[in-house]
Amino acid sequence: MSVQDSIKGFGVTFKQFLKSPETIDYPDQKTPVWPRFRGRHRLWLHDNGLEKCVGCSLCAAACPADCIRVVAEENTAENRVSAGERYAKIYEINMLRCIFCGYCEVACPFDAITLEAEYELSEPSRIAEIYDKDMLLAPSPKPVPIRTEPSGRQ
Amino acid sequence: MTDYAPVDLERGEQVEFDLNGRRVHAPPGTMLVDAAHANGVEIPIFCYEPRIGPPLGACRMCLVEVEGMRGLQTACSTPVSQDMVVHTKSDLAVDGQDGVLELILANHPLDCPVCDKGGECPLQDRTFRFGPGDSRFLEHKRHFPKPLDLSSLIALDRERCISCFRCVRFSQEVAEDGLLTFQERGGDSEITTFTGGAYEGRFTGNIVDICPVGALTSIPYRFVARPWDVTNTESVCGTCPVGCNVELTTREGRVQRVSGREDPNWIHEEGWLCDKCRYAFPAAWSPDRLTTPLIRDGGTTREVSIEEAVAAASVLLARENARPGIVVGPEATVEEGFLAQKIAAASGDAPIQQLGIPAATLAPIRALPPAELADLDGAPLIVEVGGDPANQQAIVELRIRKALRHGARLVMVGSRPHALTGLGEWHETAPGQIAETVGRLADDIKGTEGVIFVWDEQSLAQEPDAVPVLAELMAEVENAKQLELGAHINGAGLRALGLPADGVLEAAEAGDIGTLVCLLADPLSAPGASRWDAALGKTGPLVVIATHASELTDAANVVIPASMATEHEGTLVSMNGRAQRLRPGQEPPDGAAPGWQILVAIAHRLHTDVARSPSTILRTAVTERSALTGLSYKEMGRLGMRLRRPSPASANGAHAPREPAGEGLRLVTTRRIFGDGFAARSDALEHVRQPADVVISPAEASRLGLEDGDRARLVSEHGECVLPVRVSEAHQDGVAFAAVGVPGAGVERLLPADDGPVRVQLSRA
Ligand code: SF4
Ligand code: FES
Repeated sequence: MSVQDSIKGFGVTFKQFLKSPETIDYPDQKTPVWPRFRGRHRLWLHDNGLEKCVGCSLCAAACPADCIRVVAEENTAENRVSAGERYAKIYEINMLRCIFCGYCEVACPFDAITLEAEYELSEPSRIAEIYDKDMLLAPSPKPVPIRTEPSGRQ
Repeated sequence: MTDYAPVDLERGEQVEFDLNGRRVHAPPGTMLVDAAHANGVEIPIFCYEPRIGPPLGACRMCLVEVEGMRGLQTACSTPVSQDMVVHTKSDLAVDGQDGVLELILANHPLDCPVCDKGGECPLQDRTFRFGPGDSRFLEHKRHFPKPLDLSSLIALDRERCISCFRCVRFSQEVAEDGLLTFQERGGDSEITTFTGGAYEGRFTGNIVDICPVGALTSIPYRFVARPWDVTNTESVCGTCPVGCNVELTTREGRVQRVSGREDPNWIHEEGWLCDKCRYAFPAAWSPDRLTTPLIRDGGTTREVSIEEAVAAASVLLARENARPGIVVGPEATVEEGFLAQKIAAASGDAPIQQLGIPAATLAPIRALPPAELADLDGAPLIVEVGGDPANQQAIVELRIRKALRHGARLVMVGSRPHALTGLGEWHETAPGQIAETVGRLADDIKGTEGVIFVWDEQSLAQEPDAVPVLAELMAEVENAKQLELGAHINGAGLRALGLPADGVLEAAEAGDIGTLVCLLADPLSAPGASRWDAALGKTGPLVVIATHASELTDAANVVIPASMATEHEGTLVSMNGRAQRLRPGQEPPDGAAPGWQILVAIAHRLHTDVARSPSTILRTAVTERSALTGLSYKEMGRLGMRLRRPSPASANGAHAPREPAGEGLRLVTTRRIFGDGFAARSDALEHVRQPADVVISPAEASRLGLEDGDRARLVSEHGECVLPVRVSEAHQDGVAFAAVGVPGAGVERLLPADDGPVRVQLSRA
């Protein structure tokens, strides 16, 4: 190994000194994710405030991890929850079982459920990992930046 | 459920034809759809439903190409013939099928995500497998307001209807209630009733099963589950002695639906069910369901664990001078009956009885060749003796109607008019006159071969003199068969165990019973209620194993909540001797346990060695009771197996006529289809429940000074009760017709313990 090689090697090291670090300061700073990242589920509302989900349970049928539970009920004039005849009285996803395959999103005929960017899914107990309808309807509780630029990494 | 008719490819005569280039065969007269299905080729159908009757050809989905015939043929209404050449997949046939499906879907809303049929829908399935895959229609679909209540049980979504006519034909041609019809034409066609009112009847739920789309859905099941959320269990309906095959649909630990089960050879009920069977399941969570074991000691009532209750019951059975007696109710399975016998035997041969009708006098008829329901289909002559099949064994009514459509002659003898009496030769007899009437008809009946005698257990037990007359007549007719209209759910099974229908009551009256155990039996609402009531005062502690609260459980010292037929394993024997398996569709509520588990626990505490699972209990029962020979869960399989016929031995001199003591009208009782404990406890049946009443003829009414709607006091030598009066032209003079089985009505107090003949006096209450 010649001196030249050593200089070359130190050169690489020195170059890195001048770059900004790749590590980020989590949790103050969060890793941005790609727009197609599949994280926490979200249930959507129509513009008029009605739920898009009609409780058809197709997501539960599609789910390979069997982690969705839907119990439907009929909309009535006094209690109209969704746009269809029925709505989901109970909608639960067991986040411990979910494998984030996104099949539920694909199966949904009404675009009522999507997988969003959030990835902070730890909870204080196992039971709290069963996300209910209200939790899933809430918009972005723990937002994550979306990556728009190609990464610097090759 | 397959929609195709069973085809016998083995039968002697067969025609050969070409199906999609393959040489196949089928019996002559078979419709092409069925012949193709039997040979492994599916032709799509919607309107064809062979159980309803001849094809109608309403939907045109089944188009196939038959060489030599112009255009396309509807395979559902084209019988096979020798050397026919059929193409179901040729370009022409597929083009026809595509066109029809496109038209059917032109107005179908495709709201599958909110439709209860979605996932088990023939229209979905066939659109998936056949048809063009897209539509050229851009026009708006027709719209109707959703959904209408066709009845308290059935919702109608008119948009989804594809006008296949199945439901209308069921109503017109199977149930023959003539209520459903189409109104308007073309795109405006809609299902409605002739009267404009609700579609109410005994068999309405079947139209939900046969509707090939989601136009007719069950209201109690509305939006409860989707097919992939559920598990289905093959079981038997435990609400009447017919023993129809059912499928229990379970979601989230509860039976949510009962539906007809495929009956491959149409031997039993063909997959039709009555509405009681279909909608009785919510009785499992009625407010009076027992869920807490109780111990009553002196004045105090303690809620205890089921183990404590079992221990307390065992102590009562094992204590010094316990002198137990055991009463087994009609809902008990064969296994439970057998365990009860074991416990009785272990308690020093304690008396044990079922709450049923004594069998001795009926043995000569029971020993004759029994009929399956399917035998009625081709019978030339059906002789119906006594009873009220339309209410008490409802599915038999459908089968007799079918036989009549096939050209059978129907001769009926009895005193109570029922739904079938207008359809055949009805020989109205005064109570006590069956023997004479049958004797008079004998010559007429004898000439026909293959007569099926449909006879009512209770009616003939009340008129033992008719038994030898009928038995002799049957013996004289070639290939005669008999079909019993049993009175009790598992009466035949308990009889096969050798359980008598008396013994405990007599012992109790004599003060010989220390501890009385009632296993799924409520003697206070069974015939002889007044005698039981008095006898209970002379017995010691009362142990009740029951499903629902009653006067009896209120008086019991130990109450052990038990499971219902949808909650346990076991064997039930139908009225015509077919043993079938019950399988649980849900767990019993907390605090209750299957009857057999309770009995096994008691037996162990009494140091009696019994098997510990239903299948092994049955195995022991089979080795120890010759009437059960050959029976096992494996043999019973999906559709059950026949028990051996009982031997004809019957007590000498038992066939003397029975004349009830006392004055007044003869009492004839029936158990109305929606007038028993199941209907009373199921909220689904709330709107069709039938109350107890007494029906008398106008002549009797005026003689007694009673009018329609009055309340009458009925007094017999056994007891009394008060019932609303209905006056009916159709009913004969000299008889009062009362409905039994309605909880709380107390009609059973009028009756003797063997459900024998009785007279009542009526007066304004
Ligand atoms: S309601 Fe159903 S069964 Fe009746 S005609 Fe319409 S599609 Fe057929
Ligand atoms: S199934 Fe043949 S016409 Fe409907």
